[in-house]
Amino acid sequence: MTIQSCVACGGHLNALQREGIVRKRARSLSSSAATYPVVYRLLQKLQVCAGCLEALPFIGEQICRQCGRDMCGEVICRDGLCRDCVDRASVPLSNNRSLLQYDEKGKSLVSLFKYRGDERLASFFSALLTIAIYRYHHTPPRFTCITTVPLHPTRLRERGFNQVELLAKALGHAIGVPVKTLLERTKATEKLSKQGGRVHREESMRDAFAWAQGAVLADLSSACSGGVARVKVKGGANSPVMSGTPLRVLLIDDIYTTGSTLRSCASTLRAHLGTVCEIYSLTIYR
Amino acid sequence: MREFLLYIKSGTEAVSSVQTYVTPSFAVDQSFWQERESCILHVIGKTSSLALAFSLREQINEYIRKRLAERQKLTDGVVAELRQLAVGKVREASGLYGREVTDRERDDNQASWSSAFACMRQPPKDWFAWKVVEFRCEVHACQKDAESAGGYRIFSRHSLLRRTSLTADGASASVLGKLLDGRALLWEEIETLLCKRGAEVGDLAAVLHEGVLAGKVQWLPGVRMGVVSNWRRKRLVLFCERCGSEGRALQLIYCHSCEQGCAYCTICLGMGRSKCCTPYMLIASSASTAVGRETGMGQPARLEWTGRYSQDQARAAERARRFVAGSHPGRSEFLIWAVCGAGKTELLFPSVAEALSSGGRVLIATPRKDVVLELAPRIQRVFPEARVIAVHGASAEKWEESDITIATTHQVMRYHRRFLLVVLDEADAFPYHNNPVLYRALARAVHDTGKLLYLSATPPLYLQKRLVSNDRSKSASSAALPLASATHVLLPGRYHGKPLPVPEILTIKGLHKRVRTKRAVPQMTDAVKRSLDAERQVFVFVPRIDDVDVVLAYLQKAMPDRSEQMAGVHASDPLREEKVLAFRNRRYTLMVTTTILERGVTIPKSDVLVVGAEAPVFDEASLVQIAGRVGRSFDDTAGSVLFLQAERAAATKLAVRQISRMNQLAKKLAEAGGDNA
Repeated sequence: MTIQSCVACGGHLNALQREGIVRKRARSLSSSAATYPVVYRLLQKLQVCAGCLEALPFIGEQICRQCGRDMCGEVICRDGLCRDCVDRASVPLSNNRSLLQYDEKGKSLVSLFKYRGDERLASFFSALLTIAIYRYHHTPPRFTCITTVPLHPTRLRERGFNQVELLAKALGHAIGVPVKTLLERTKATEKLSKQGGRVHREESMRDAFAWAQGAVLADLSSACSGGVARVKVKGGANSPVMSGTPLRVLLIDDIYTTGSTLRSCASTLRAHLGTVCEIYSLTIYR
Repeated sequence: MREFLLYIKSGTEAVSSVQTYVTPSFAVDQSFWQERESCILHVIGKTSSLALAFSLREQINEYIRKRLAERQKLTDGVVAELRQLAVGKVREASGLYGREVTDRERDDNQASWSSAFACMRQPPKDWFAWKVVEFRCEVHACQKDAESAGGYRIFSRHSLLRRTSLTADGASASVLGKLLDGRALLWEEIETLLCKRGAEVGDLAAVLHEGVLAGKVQWLPGVRMGVVSNWRRKRLVLFCERCGSEGRALQLIYCHSCEQGCAYCTICLGMGRSKCCTPYMLIASSASTAVGRETGMGQPARLEWTGRYSQDQARAAERARRFVAGSHPGRSEFLIWAVCGAGKTELLFPSVAEALSSGGRVLIATPRKDVVLELAPRIQRVFPEARVIAVHGASAEKWEESDITIATTHQVMRYHRRFLLVVLDEADAFPYHNNPVLYRALARAVHDTGKLLYLSATPPLYLQKRLVSNDRSKSASSAALPLASATHVLLPGRYHGKPLPVPEILTIKGLHKRVRTKRAVPQMTDAVKRSLDAERQVFVFVPRIDDVDVVLAYLQKAMPDRSEQMAGVHASDPLREEKVLAFRNRRYTLMVTTTILERGVTIPKSDVLVVGAEAPVFDEASLVQIAGRVGRSFDDTAGSVLFLQAERAAATKLAVRQISRMNQLAKKLAEAGGDNA
């Protein structure tokens, strides 16, 4: 069953009222004329009413080149970086992009999805992610594979589902890129909402991830067959095999707060795949 | 991961005692049966989906009932056959589940508002995991013989079959019984409750399962699964045991908790996920007397109330009290039908006192959180020695013990045969009206010997049919409403004894168009002006949220000098509470609102205007409630109610008829009372 009313306010979905706003949003979100139809269709199917669609806090045009933060009203340091990114010497992540600012409404939606466990919201969030792909990345997206920030097995059992994996699968299906489980969590960290402080979080995330046993990238699997136990290939047939281009991995998460989780994942990936790979990350909220 | 074992118990001599059981810890069952009777336990298999285990139990029991009549004995051959049957049934359920998943995805893709990514899951080959366990053990009463001891050894490998602390269980069982008395909780909620109340229980599953075997605890899967077949095809049916929803309201998912196909209920999701693999424990209140109340804590039933009843109120309150005190077996429901402003809350006091004095607990359920918060201190003042708690979604007192519980509707789902008296306030209001989920929850919260009291100004027809016209007045055609019967009492007059203001109906052609284009509607403007000039406050009710701004703009244009004092409010208005408060404080004198203010808000010296009374949201009950906002206080018993409609409608007429009928009844009653005196 899909939700037939606005996910944010429970209101009625009035196609007529939405039309104008959908067009306006689609224009501002599509990077080129070629992506307009796709973005338009995605927005049109988004289960939010006209008012809530208009109120969605999309991140503006000016962003931090590295972390995707909205730079409106922020100090821009050198090279178009924000003040957090400018201090970091080397980052394993090529860049991060997010679609929305994390406000109160977003918070309640995410908690409805993650903690209450309303899995029907997955389609809403994955549509947002797809819009973000079309907004920030080349079309058609040239990723070798999509992977997710893993949950610790205990947490997964407790929660019953991996929210990010649901999103990644839907996204992978939408843009035709296979989703793989490449990482696993080795440390059971505190719930994000219960951790305090940026430094503490960075510390707790260090070495929290490891390369998943038996996980193999699709392109390499033809060369070194076997050990495909944990690989979940979805739509693997149309994944582009690029000989000249480096591996491009897309990391998916729901929220980018300080980025320590994503950076930790990226450095694990980089340690395993070598320095030629490019790792991008995409989140809904920033 | 929780696992559940399915086994068959057969008596050593009597064939009729063949029965199938589901257990989370087999050792508990073994020792339980050991204490009681000699029997043979045949283990069939195990799974982590409780719904699957229950559905298999059902099917195996059915099979045994049919087959054993001929064969007379549960031989090993039959057991092997049953194991095969279970495997087959699991495969069948798997197939049906897979089909249901694809069916739903197809339908979702067709639905206009569905997401573009409905086919999100890859169906695994088998949705359900079932592990056949071939094991048989004989249990002999009161003595541990070699074989059953061997059984322990064999099963000590399985974590679910191990028994941890045998000795500590007795104590923790009694603590647990006290804490969970009269509650219906999901497994996770039990853990939360124990954690909140600081109780430590070693092996919760074992302790609870002992309760199940002893018949004190009922357990069910959060979502039940079954297979129905008709002539054409078999179909998987899902049913939420907690809230009673079924079909598409239950979302199919691959669950990482039980690592197989699962389903959760989206209707009662706000109360925690009710899933196929989550046990739902129902613990009926052990006795009608309040458990956990130490002697010497005073009398909770002591009523400290200095107010006085009018003659009518006294009559109604006494009727209700007698119903609560009465021990008629069949009569467990009672309706207090009192018009708006009759003083319903005060009527309850004698009934509540009656229930408390017989040692029971009382629940007052009301639709809205603000009413809960307002009511709790009021009740506490009247019953100073009773423990009163307010229970709503965010309340910290949720898990506490109490004499009087005042709860919002959904919280009632967490109780099971707990209360000697359950009062349902505003029985006709959203969310109760026509909501089987909540009525079901309510009926379940009542103790076996308990009573259910409905309170309403405009009881819905199904309540009226059931409770009002059942006695002498079988002839429904007669206009006269019975004032009282064994199952209801009608209070037609207000506490101050003055009649209800009767609404005036005006039909204005093209009303909405005129308002939208700001063309004058003199009847409307004049009525508002008259009220405002007389220093009265005005409610303006509109049918839809979109109309709020339209009507507000119209009125502000018509009366620019007063536009500062006007405001509009609707359900999803972020400033809703502030605006209503400002209206109460007379900061605003006119409030344009949707039906959200139709009940609960009492403002002295106010008038009511309904713009677009023909709209279907305004049914008879709603209009009577709206008219009931007016003239409620002692110093202002009259007021004007105006229904403006664009075309003639039935509901407005019916509402006026109901109000005048109540007034007539009240008048007649007053005359009769005067004659008696």
